[in-house]
Amino acid sequence: MSRAHEKYDVFIGLEIHIHLKTESKMFCSCPARYGDDPNVNVCPVCMGYPGALPAVNERAMELGYLVARALGCQTAKTTSFARKNYFYPDMPKNYQISQFAEPVGLNGMMEAGFDDGIRGIRIHDVHLEEDAGKMIHAGDVTLLDYNRAGYPLLEIVTEPDLRSGEETEAFLRSFQRLVRYLGVSDGNMDEGSMKCDANISINLPGKGLGTKVELKNMNSPRFVRLALNHEIERQAKVLDGGGSLVQETRLWNENRDITETMRRKEAADDYRYFPEPDIPPFRPDEAFMAGVETSLVELPLARKNRMAQEYHLTPEQADFLHDEKSTADFFEETVQAGADARTVAAWLSSDVRKLCNREQISLAQSPLTSARMGSLLNLISSGKISGKIAKKVLDMVFTENADPEAIVKKQGWTQISDPAELQTIVDAVLHEHSAVADAVRDGDVRQRGWLMGQIMRASDGQAAPNVANQVLDKALGL
Amino acid sequence: MVPSQDEWSLTAELARLELDEGEAVRLASEAERMKELFLTMSQANVEGLEPTTHAFAGDNRVRPDSAVSFDNTDRFLDAAPEAEDEFILIPNVL
Amino acid sequence: MQSTAELWSALTADSEKFAQYVQALRDIDGRVGSFLSFSPQVVSSQKTGSLSGIPVGVKDNIAVEGQPLTCGSRILENLISPYSATAIQRLVAEGALMVGKTNLDEFGMGSSCENSALGNTSNPWNLDYVAGGSSGGSAAAVAAGLVPLALGSDTGGSVRQPASFCGVYGLKPTYGSISRSGLTAYASSLEVIGPMARDLQLLKESFRVMAGLDSMDQSGTAGSCSSDQTNGTIAVLELDEGVLDAPVAEAYRQAIDALEALGHPIKRVSLQSLNLIVPAYYTIATAEASANLARFNGIRYGMAPTFAENPAELMRKARHEGFGDEVKLRILLGTYVLRSGFQDQYYGQAQKVRTLIRQELAAIYQDASAILMPVFPTQAFKKGEGGMDEYRQKTADVFTCLANLAGLPALAIPTGLSGGLPLGMQLMAPAFGEERLFALAKELEKTFPLETPEGALDIGSLQ
Repeated sequence: MSRAHEKYDVFIGLEIHIHLKTESKMFCSCPARYGDDPNVNVCPVCMGYPGALPAVNERAMELGYLVARALGCQTAKTTSFARKNYFYPDMPKNYQISQFAEPVGLNGMMEAGFDDGIRGIRIHDVHLEEDAGKMIHAGDVTLLDYNRAGYPLLEIVTEPDLRSGEETEAFLRSFQRLVRYLGVSDGNMDEGSMKCDANISINLPGKGLGTKVELKNMNSPRFVRLALNHEIERQAKVLDGGGSLVQETRLWNENRDITETMRRKEAADDYRYFPEPDIPPFRPDEAFMAGVETSLVELPLARKNRMAQEYHLTPEQADFLHDEKSTADFFEETVQAGADARTVAAWLSSDVRKLCNREQISLAQSPLTSARMGSLLNLISSGKISGKIAKKVLDMVFTENADPEAIVKKQGWTQISDPAELQTIVDAVLHEHSAVADAVRDGDVRQRGWLMGQIMRASDGQAAPNVANQVLDKALGL
Repeated sequence: MVPSQDEWSLTAELARLELDEGEAVRLASEAERMKELFLTMSQANVEGLEPTTHAFAGDNRVRPDSAVSFDNTDRFLDAAPEAEDEFILIPNVL
Repeated sequence: MQSTAELWSALTADSEKFAQYVQALRDIDGRVGSFLSFSPQVVSSQKTGSLSGIPVGVKDNIAVEGQPLTCGSRILENLISPYSATAIQRLVAEGALMVGKTNLDEFGMGSSCENSALGNTSNPWNLDYVAGGSSGGSAAAVAAGLVPLALGSDTGGSVRQPASFCGVYGLKPTYGSISRSGLTAYASSLEVIGPMARDLQLLKESFRVMAGLDSMDQSGTAGSCSSDQTNGTIAVLELDEGVLDAPVAEAYRQAIDALEALGHPIKRVSLQSLNLIVPAYYTIATAEASANLARFNGIRYGMAPTFAENPAELMRKARHEGFGDEVKLRILLGTYVLRSGFQDQYYGQAQKVRTLIRQELAAIYQDASAILMPVFPTQAFKKGEGGMDEYRQKTADVFTCLANLAGLPALAIPTGLSGGLPLGMQLMAPAFGEERLFALAKELEKTFPLETPEGALDIGSLQ
């Protein structure tokens, strides 16, 4: 914690926007897709043509309630939409259909792990709304692309319960993990499926909240941390010097690592919220809420804690395994099929992770299935292959997209565990290196390891270690 | 300057309505007249009444989430006052 | 005897007679000015149905694909609609022909049709008088015999008042019973598309074809009216002396007498909330309008200024040059009543007053199957300065706004002439009570046979 933290209380609240994973937009049937040519996923509704009316996306409503539920909110018995009125070139209607009086969720709590332990961050509300179009500034003109206009957004507003840049970054990463676990959003700040604005104030202890500054334009959790920490210092300096802070919006400049006043701040807009007359209130029935419950997966933190306990994992292993739901699912599936938990954990966090990184794919995208993992571990534990060979087999699972047994068979990598066969190899090695062999027999046990290495080499790594050890020891009279 | 004209100027700005001198005076006075009419509603006894936010409280209306592309989206670009290469153009925002 | 529908269907199927019709229409409309744009090439429709070959005039705030959608405003002067309103699609599916877009008060804001920036409509009964508004063009087109059916939109009386001024039937359906998809929004919670015609059967059929839920409009409703338990009692609104012009007051008395003579018990009622109707209506309507018209900013379609330094200026200039005075006034008012610090007092209060008004009406309908009221305190007024000032026009909307605030169906019925100008009355039923209204109108047909203005197009003369 910085010096500023010693003197001042810091209050940070977040406004997080996530793109919901739906096929169509929030209020019209246009495809909700990235990467298409500009202005092709548009229609009279999302272009704000006269006479066009909004039609609420059923899936967006479900996902909204799911997130509200997952964040421990009171879910609305009646939820309704409202018009938020302001003018901007990327707004097709110059009002945004959002929620105001009756959002899908209120008064929730999300637990996250911080340096000093797990703490709950209060959620003020969760509400549905639509995105605006995209603007690209180019010289004299601004280019407008309305493909994104009308995208379904979910806004999550927290209370100012975060205390530092580090905490905020940790919270954001936990939040990303949560929405990915639920499958409601990709939660990617650099791709644009998640955005985060922060509200920050500092004040002398016991004085409550200070003058609020809004921070925008932070495009990754890391930048959020940097921007907030910078802002805390900036504000502390002002107050230290006897000055006062202005309630304003500042932008993070990632090239200069500073926050700057937003240029040409428009006069404070009065949004004049009023109930959206085009959309009737929505009252989820029992079937709807039952559907929400079914979609509610075990949340990341709970899953991590349970897996750690159930499978006796180290904190690092638990962290790694629960980071992505597909990894956690893979792990548990493999273990439940009979593999040893610690072994699976070790393989996943080292060799498998390395291969995924090398191929630049995720575990879910890789050719390694939990069945294949299980069978690989089986081959080791049944003595058919050594650990060393197993690594090579794993590599080939990735490159050949084949089953471990098939690979071992094809490569002829079955371990040699027949004592008679090993005897031949051991005898040959001891004969070649008789001096070393004699040294060991005379008491220089350290060189035994080297002899073992030679046996491995001579057998192309296929000598089954335990049997080879026995044979060697016998041959050396140990 | 009529005090109430400032209120109407601010209101006009919120609505992105640029009013010239004559318009501002004329519209402000007509608006004031209507405002007086609106104020007569304060006499109504509406204690305990819920506001009518929607004409009829219908059943839940939702649309199944399937994507349908609008036919011939070129016409949106054709209809724009300024467009070039698949984008709609305006003077630079910044 | 051929029905209206059959006559028109036969005409439009005959290309030579159709050409004569088009010529006659152009001649007459040169004086009346009901159409802003005319698309007679639409005649070759492949569809057949109950409205086969019927030419329809469409108010220019209702979208017809490929035809202009100006809303009577400079800001949309060059807009061609990329889609058709659902109501239009349904009419077309039954074989109707969308032959042109009719004049209106800009964005539906007005009671005379004089607020149009793009056209000039006169009352076919006397060209020095207004056709009414905001659907003046449609009413005039039907009255002048140019089309047998025309569509308007009714936000605060904009179908019924011009229908009454022009001596034709005008239906304001139950809110939500006809899809609003394709109707340029003015006041979203108040308005509905409504047909106008001289033939009651045609009016009825067009409503039946257009009505029904639409996936593009989630504010739509469907339902039915329970059968009448009141023996056909008609509630009649008691009004103070002098509220209505003498001819209108007389027509009102005649309508009451006629209904009584037809066997309907009459129940006189007074509306406590009568004076609250206009303020509540205009507060809510302007508030919704201020948001609905925000989309017109010269960027995605419509007219844009020739030069602007930045987007903010572009938007301001487009709206300054593109909107007429009445539109600017209503946007200003609507923005004001929603402003932080004022919203509870104005918009919030108006929404509660709306509830109060609905409750009062519900009580009346306990003992009556329909309510009889005037449509407007006067007949059609003179055009220009000698007519009715804008403020008075608004306060005169009191009888029509009621149905919009309550979402109820109401039918304007022509009831003769006075001084060469039409008279009309309106009947208002409970929600989804359109059948009741049609039935009552049918009964009154004999007492008040329809008149035809001189110079109206007579397709009989084209046969």
